[in-house]
Amino acid sequence: MSAPDDRLLRKDRRTVFAAWAALTAATVLARFLSPGESQSATALGDELVAAIVVLGLVKCRLVLRCFMEVRHAPRWLRFATDGWLAVLWSALLVIYLI
Amino acid sequence: MTAPGTTARPRPPARERRLPGDADMWVMILGDLFIFGCYFVTYMVFRAMSADEFTASQRHLDIDVGVVNTVVLLTSSLFAALAVLAVREGASRQAQRLLLATGACGVLFTLIKAYEWHAEISHGHTIHDEFYSFYFVLTGVHLVHLALGLLVLGVAGRELRNPRRRRPAIVEQCVLFWHMVDLLWVVIFALLYLMR
Repeated sequence: MSAPDDRLLRKDRRTVFAAWAALTAATVLARFLSPGESQSATALGDELVAAIVVLGLVKCRLVLRCFMEVRHAPRWLRFATDGWLAVLWSALLVIYLI
Repeated sequence: MTAPGTTARPRPPARERRLPGDADMWVMILGDLFIFGCYFVTYMVFRAMSADEFTASQRHLDIDVGVVNTVVLLTSSLFAALAVLAVREGASRQAQRLLLATGACGVLFTLIKAYEWHAEISHGHTIHDEFYSFYFVLTGVHLVHLALGLLVLGVAGRELRNPRRRRPAIVEQCVLFWHMVDLLWVVIFALLYLMR
């Protein structure tokens, strides 16, 4: 295997580890944004829900881009996956807030 | 005196755009994402119509169990992505071990989910409650996909065990399916556990 390939593989490995660390951190952060069972039974504030939605969207994009390697994919696939993410998460947020 | 730019480090070669896996697998993945997307929106519409009841039911879910399951599945995806890189390097043994670790995380996820289902049903939270009917169907259909994913990982492992085959493209496709299972769970976790 040639040297540039080795360099690209090392870079890919670093990307995968960084994505996993960011995804785990975002999961833990989202957990602290959402109240637990013992807290009041009122619905979450709009800002908190928006933050949870943004974290969810970022996590999904990290899985697609870094784990599923969509970042190296042709334009049609990058647009299709970004389109799915944008439509889904914006629909979920709008319906929740109505 | 050297000409401007001659001392600069050579730029790494631009990476070629390529489709991970093959087009057939992406048709399946995009189709699955569309169908699940419709179901997620349907859940949210029903939730909006009975927000107080759904919020009260959601409070019974143990959010920490959901967090643990999410981290387990994300870790499985890490192992799966590393397995693809190992195959590209020609390290088949390492790739097999990583796929085994991926599958082990999948089994652990299933066991935690079974514990959670048992706890919810023991507390009387069944499909008679509207939120729980969505909860059991969404997590159940996801579990079916996870079981299929375990089967697909087995196909990838079989491919790697045979020295005459070892086609990186097959392993890539199998791992793509596994990542899709992870991707769907990220949305389900936010919908059921976090957006209360």
